[in-house]
Amino acid sequence: MKRHTLTAQFRAEMDCPKEVVMWNYYDHEHLVGTHYKYYNGTRVLAERDDWSLVVRSKRMPLLPFYTSGIGFQYMDGNTMKSFHQDQLGFILEMEAFFEDMPNDRCSVTVTYRIKALPIFKLFDSYFKKLFKGWFWATWEEDAPMRLRRWKVHNLGFKDFSGIEYVNKKLPKPEPIQPGKYEFVPPVRKSSPIRTPDGIERPFTTSVELGYADN
Amino acid sequence: MATEGTLVNIQEHSQEDYRYLASLEELKKTGQLTRWIEDHDVLLYEYEGQIKAISNICRHFGGPVGYHKHKDGVFTCLWHNWRFSCKDGSCLSHPALPLRQYALKIVDDKIYVDLLG
Repeated sequence: MKRHTLTAQFRAEMDCPKEVVMWNYYDHEHLVGTHYKYYNGTRVLAERDDWSLVVRSKRMPLLPFYTSGIGFQYMDGNTMKSFHQDQLGFILEMEAFFEDMPNDRCSVTVTYRIKALPIFKLFDSYFKKLFKGWFWATWEEDAPMRLRRWKVHNLGFKDFSGIEYVNKKLPKPEPIQPGKYEFVPPVRKSSPIRTPDGIERPFTTSVELGYADN
Repeated sequence: MATEGTLVNIQEHSQEDYRYLASLEELKKTGQLTRWIEDHDVLLYEYEGQIKAISNICRHFGGPVGYHKHKDGVFTCLWHNWRFSCKDGSCLSHPALPLRQYALKIVDDKIYVDLLG
């Protein structure tokens, strides 16, 4: 039987190089941090270089329940591809294409696809609405993360270390030459992979004071 | 609110090291705030009757330590949930990576932070 493909595509731009956004998309552990309102657990089953197999549990906007499923993701040049099968048996395919723009800006085009029985054509508009809500809800949470990541990079930040002049109480050096932002998967972990329980969000509600004003 | 450290006349010291951070009134609103001061992201807060300041830059990936209001004496970084003690900025997730503490002075209800101290 010929299957119907539910499709939704979104494009947005960021004031940072594409590698920063790739880092953000590829990072599993931020799901239960930055996106704690939507994700309540994630577990990396296996990963190597530029692919990983993960379990995630999330609740999307417009849906009143959590679903968990297994996902496989990998980098293919400037595209991150992922396949996520949920408890209902649907396989969600996502492609995120990253493209540099002038002046350290970039664009991201994300395409979501689900192949389903022809009757699901009736749900085309609902699918688009669901994923529109999902894309923009997570985008709004990720955008300040990317901008801050880019900002601290330009101040000389090093992963698992920090900013030297801050840590050592030194005058800020001028000029700082941080070099090009590199993204080399996998993202370095602070927790071991293949743990029995993975990692869970530490709380469900919080008094959010937000990011510092620039 | 009491203050940590000694109150001194800011005019007696090099003003190059100290920068205005916030007023006591601003801090009292939520008991915690973060602010970028000359490329330092400073987390100012009141804890157990003392005003303290630590770096707001998580040493993991640079996340905002003070995004969430502290709870039970602990800050939890937004991005990856690294945990830090309100007492002194020590890292409960990775003890070798504490947050830098800043010296403060309060003059006329204004809080100044020493970027080199």
